[in-house]
Amino acid sequence: MTELWVKNACVIDPIRGINGEIMDIAIRDGRIVESVSDRADVIDAQRCLTLPGGIDSHTHVSGTKVNFGRYMSPEDMRAGRTKRKGKMHVTSGYYVPTTFGNSYRYSAMGYTTLLEGAMAPLEARHTHEEFTATPHQDMMANTLFDGNWAVMDAVREKDIRKTAAVVAWTLKAARGYGIKLTNPGGTEAWGFGEDLTGIHEMVPHFAVTPAEIITTMIRANELLKLPHSVHLHCNNLGKPGNYQTTLETFDIVPDLNPARQTLYATHVQFHAYGGGTWKNISSKAEEITRSVNIKPQIVMDMGQIMFGRTMTMTADGPMEFNLHCLHHNKWSNHDVELETGSGIIPVTYSKKSAVNCIMWAIGLELALLTKNPYQCLLETDNPNGAPFVKYPEIIGLLMSKRYRDEECATLATGVEQRTSLFALERELDWHDIAVMTRAGQAKALGIVNQGKGHLGIGAEADIAIYPIRTDSVDPAREYRKVVEGFQKTRYTIKRGRVVSREGEIIVDGANATFWVDAKVPEDLKMENDPEFIKRFEQFYTVRMSNYPVQDVYLPRGRRIETEVFT
Amino acid sequence: MRVILESKVRAKPNLPIEAEAIIPRNFLKGTDLIVYEGNKERTLSEMFWIFVEGTAVSPENIEVILKGDTSRIKRVGEYMDTGSIVIEGDIGMHCGNFMSGGTIEIRGNADSWLGREMRGGTILCRGNASHYCATGYRGEKKGMQGGKVEVFGNTGDFCAEYLAGGTVHIHGSAGDFPGVEMRGGELIIEGDATRPCGNMKSGSCVILGTVHDMLPTFEKSGRRVLPEWKITADVYKGDVANRGKGTLCVRSE
Repeated sequence: MTELWVKNACVIDPIRGINGEIMDIAIRDGRIVESVSDRADVIDAQRCLTLPGGIDSHTHVSGTKVNFGRYMSPEDMRAGRTKRKGKMHVTSGYYVPTTFGNSYRYSAMGYTTLLEGAMAPLEARHTHEEFTATPHQDMMANTLFDGNWAVMDAVREKDIRKTAAVVAWTLKAARGYGIKLTNPGGTEAWGFGEDLTGIHEMVPHFAVTPAEIITTMIRANELLKLPHSVHLHCNNLGKPGNYQTTLETFDIVPDLNPARQTLYATHVQFHAYGGGTWKNISSKAEEITRSVNIKPQIVMDMGQIMFGRTMTMTADGPMEFNLHCLHHNKWSNHDVELETGSGIIPVTYSKKSAVNCIMWAIGLELALLTKNPYQCLLETDNPNGAPFVKYPEIIGLLMSKRYRDEECATLATGVEQRTSLFALERELDWHDIAVMTRAGQAKALGIVNQGKGHLGIGAEADIAIYPIRTDSVDPAREYRKVVEGFQKTRYTIKRGRVVSREGEIIVDGANATFWVDAKVPEDLKMENDPEFIKRFEQFYTVRMSNYPVQDVYLPRGRRIETEVFT
Repeated sequence: MRVILESKVRAKPNLPIEAEAIIPRNFLKGTDLIVYEGNKERTLSEMFWIFVEGTAVSPENIEVILKGDTSRIKRVGEYMDTGSIVIEGDIGMHCGNFMSGGTIEIRGNADSWLGREMRGGTILCRGNASHYCATGYRGEKKGMQGGKVEVFGNTGDFCAEYLAGGTVHIHGSAGDFPGVEMRGGELIIEGDATRPCGNMKSGSCVILGTVHDMLPTFEKSGRRVLPEWKITADVYKGDVANRGKGTLCVRSE
């Protein structure tokens, strides 16, 4: 029995409605409890800001795509090198670090739970192996269904139950957590050498439209009662004028679940561009947020970009090809048979580029214009917008108008007229930041019941104690202190153990991987469906019996079972 | 001040020595420097006989001379900013990495990555240089950015890859793909070359010998007399496959 007592903590816990109370937290065997004995270890938080462990609801840290980013950028492996020290492994890399590098840096920032944004089911084993090597965070993997042939067949037949059955089988086989749609239909069209420009266009050879895929998947998701909603990377990413596609997509989303959103729209910054060419691109964050503010069924995340070098990696193959045509740099394209694809290119976001400056402004506008912080979460689509180590700077920008104005003075000319960022007076407070970095994520991912994102009795003891005194720091003026404070926790506690102290890792991690075992009625079990088996054996290069990920790949797997639907 | 380092006979002469500590500035405070033989940490005096002549008050006046078998010594002159190094024999890989000033003279041959990602200063190599002379390291998009590399012998493949500034002068021949991905600077090859300047974006290259397998993606734009080389050269623009605006001059027949 291990016990820990955190005293004098200034707690902000939005899910339980606690905002800046000085309180003590008792922890026994990895869970928060009412009280502990006198023999418990004591941490004096000295009235510092104490939050539930951070949750990143969309990041790319593991899997084949990330690893290919590593292959492609040997020059990045020269950056961010740290030596082996105590319990810490050697790390290297800045925008695509090694798995341990990711884990340690997230831990130093107080993050304890991550959702890998895109896992191709066929390549799930590798993703799970990398999860095991990301030891300080609990992991979840969104599973790609955007070009899944079996799903598209079921969608064409307008059979929601069949769609749900395919999703349930694939999620279980891949040990995935939720449904990810990346440019639905578009990536598969690209596999046939074509491209889609709107959500009502037919996917060639499949006779379905992206809109049909999205709505059917949403209904299948709710039928299966999955903890997370459909996680959507909208069509037309990164194209000037794409905000209309985004608005059209938001308009077809029904409100089906009172407990959470029915659509999680990810990295919306990349989907909020006006204009028609790169020359006249402008911000349409106001239109997007106006739509989101009246639609409680939608949660989005920022997809903020920050200036500097990074790597873009996504399952959206055609979009990466378009970017490659702009940059003429390294490029990788990958097709996953019958499922999805991906593309990777390195980019540098520069303050000299008006387009990049507008992108930077849009992300912040989205966060500032969304009324309910639960509906706009903070992330950079790591590493697409920026490596996650830039999160503290984003927090600083959101909390301080002065910081934004100072940054504005260094941007390319002509940016101010094309965004409304510099007219926005809003400055977020500590509570908003706590929502946008943990509570909102926990609610959107449906893991509050798993004890994530709050500090109530019975919750997992994932706690981040930042060296910030909220009563004496004025974030509007002293934004530097805020940025520094969020860069390095005083203590990061993961499941009741102190894992990181002042940025130094002090234990070997023992994370868990959450996956969803969605139950379906007997007649919908795909492993018994002769048609499904026949098509599987006909088209896949692997046998159906070899396809599911064995439990040995998840040494600390945690199954979440759903109820059977009728 | 002159520091003479004469390599001692080693039990395993093929083990590389990582000697990024050997730069003139470091000898201002004495000769207690650390090098690595394989993965073992060694003091400089374990590896070399050290002779110091005279004194110096500033690193500009320090000359380091390496003698004996130095062909396995890597990273000599890394981040060197002033002073001079003379290597009497051959030198190992990565000589003059990131160097920003001073002079390195190699009287023998140099191994791969001579003067990689160099920022300034001068490297003279009296013998041959191996592959990737004056380039960027794996994946790096900006290779050598300034200074001068002069090789009196031949070089291996990928000489001056990703050259972004400064001058590379090869008196002999270059191997395959010299000046590939060039984006600035000047490359002169007095001998022959194979498939030069592929994907070049900017900068200029002059080849006085024969070009084998000239790439088809260069556009001939005329003929020019180059008085400093006393030749007439065909001038090509390219690499047009990648919207390049470089200049490649090859001696006319």
